[in-house]
Amino acid sequence: MSIDARHVGKSFANYVALRDVDLHVEQSELVALLGPSGSGKTTLLRIIAGLDTPDPNPATSVVVDGQDILDRRGSERRVGFVFQHYALFRHMTVFENIAFGLRVRPRKQRPREPELRRKVNELLDLIQLGRWSNHYPSQLSGGQRQRVALARALAIEPSVLLLDEPFGALDAKVRQELRRWLRNLHAKIAVTSVLVTHDQEEALEVADRIVIMNQGRIEQTGTPDEVFHNPASEFVVTFLGHVNLFHGRVESNGQAARLLVRPHELDIERSASNGDSVAARVHRIQSAGPIVRVELASDQSDPITVEMTHERYRDLTIKTGETVYVKVRDARAFVAVGTAQRVNGAGA
Amino acid sequence: MTSSGRPTEPRQTEPAWMRNLFIGASVAFVGLLILLPVISVFTEAFRKGFSFYLASISDPLAMSALRLTLITAAVTLAANLVFGLAASWLIAKFSFPGRNVLLSLIDLPFAVSPVVSGLVFVLLFGAQGWFGQGRIGDFLSRHGIQIIFSTPGVILATIFVTFPFIARELIPLMQEQGADEEEAAVLLGASGWQTFRRVTLPNIRWALVYGVVLANARAMGEFGAVSVVSGHIRGRTNTLPLHVEILYNEYNFSAAFAVASLLALLALVTLVAKAALEWRIRAEERPAGMEDIA
Repeated sequence: MSIDARHVGKSFANYVALRDVDLHVEQSELVALLGPSGSGKTTLLRIIAGLDTPDPNPATSVVVDGQDILDRRGSERRVGFVFQHYALFRHMTVFENIAFGLRVRPRKQRPREPELRRKVNELLDLIQLGRWSNHYPSQLSGGQRQRVALARALAIEPSVLLLDEPFGALDAKVRQELRRWLRNLHAKIAVTSVLVTHDQEEALEVADRIVIMNQGRIEQTGTPDEVFHNPASEFVVTFLGHVNLFHGRVESNGQAARLLVRPHELDIERSASNGDSVAARVHRIQSAGPIVRVELASDQSDPITVEMTHERYRDLTIKTGETVYVKVRDARAFVAVGTAQRVNGAGA
Repeated sequence: MTSSGRPTEPRQTEPAWMRNLFIGASVAFVGLLILLPVISVFTEAFRKGFSFYLASISDPLAMSALRLTLITAAVTLAANLVFGLAASWLIAKFSFPGRNVLLSLIDLPFAVSPVVSGLVFVLLFGAQGWFGQGRIGDFLSRHGIQIIFSTPGVILATIFVTFPFIARELIPLMQEQGADEEEAAVLLGASGWQTFRRVTLPNIRWALVYGVVLANARAMGEFGAVSVVSGHIRGRTNTLPLHVEILYNEYNFSAAFAVASLLALLALVTLVAKAALEWRIRAEERPAGMEDIA
């Protein structure tokens, strides 16, 4: 079921969390709200869930599946919510945690015990924790707890699934596994989902579409490919991964410009190529990993990071302390705020 | 080395004489200041024989004091249970202006001398007090309700003195637990009552019972505040501690200690209840099936 939130604003005592934000999520889509802390992404999620109320504004609406749910209480919205710190009921077993949403239903809608057991067991199979059903949350690992939290949210057959930094409290390896698992799960059950995260890698890997937020506003919306390859603003470029910053001027009018170049969009050469390259000294080489990362120091710019393949690195045979030349292959120049220009082979 | 995570013995670096000195001092201290007085209460109580003891505690005045003490404790606990829960819920789960003022007010009864607490109620409800005259005073006297020198005054003073026990026990725990589980319950469709009954209450039940035990001990033993408001009317407004004092002042030592032993027994019951509780909590923190995780 689709989500359509319009003109959502929220201010707290001393800062503004959301400034008139519009968010649209298609049926069965998995959208990631990506942004640094304080960008308003969690506030937006909590407003959709009914845990927070937006600032009063007649234009504000939160429409799920064609119905404005803004006036409904959280308990009547039927949203599945997954918390960063799991929020499992600590005094209940895994089974009872998942069954909770079914047991608190009004008597007429409450499933009978055998039906309830069948349903909870199905969910336990889905999260592959069948043999843990009689354990308490404190006896599970973080990844297991988050899977239980997800099953508990799915038990009420939610119209939408909202995930607030669901992998934020887990270590890197478990996070990786759970990401893939969530992706597969979403392919299987296709519930409309919104995932809040500050981890750009997570958003790029998991989401159908990414909404990038900054200071209470939406900076850009698009598929992972779109936001990564066609960033709409300097903020998006810098937030989606490491960038090298060069200062320069636009040749035609002499206006100051900032050139943002990703490490893999730079190349290293042994000799200067007709004025387009910057001389730099190799400071550190990190070759353990799928790519080789070279850090360089230059008098003409901030420290530079270059990423290259192992093949290229072998061909170059560079060593720490050597002076080499850095050449830009592909970059984005930002002349004024918000306008991105693709520059090919531009000088730094 | 031990890699199995078995708890190791605490390392003992102090010489034996020092250990013995400290242990001896602790035992002597506890024996002298706690154990000895308790024993002396019972020996004094039985000094004139068992039948005198029975006669002392079955005396109508003693029985009425016991009844008043039990009634007071019961009403106080019921009232503080409701107030304490409401106040802790409010302070721990919501933020609102005046929250810290409320928190300080809850602590007030701990900071004020019980005698002053009692006097406050005399000033409020006494014949010359704020509520002793005027509309409220008229209403009370028209309906024959007397607060001061009567059971309601004793109960009011006791509620005031014991108010912080339950709230103080609950607030830190509820603050530590946060509101995540309640939010989760609400989004799963639970009503306010269901959330409280199925999520909040089970999470705080042991702290709640512990607070009740402490408040109960204080409610039964309170002397200062009750002494001021009760008026010491024998057979009517005397609680057990007040009755003990009267008997003692009349040089009726054996009877005084016999009644005091009743109080001591009530305290012992409370202590046993508390110990049993702690034992259960510890058992619960180590649930069965723990060995499955490896």
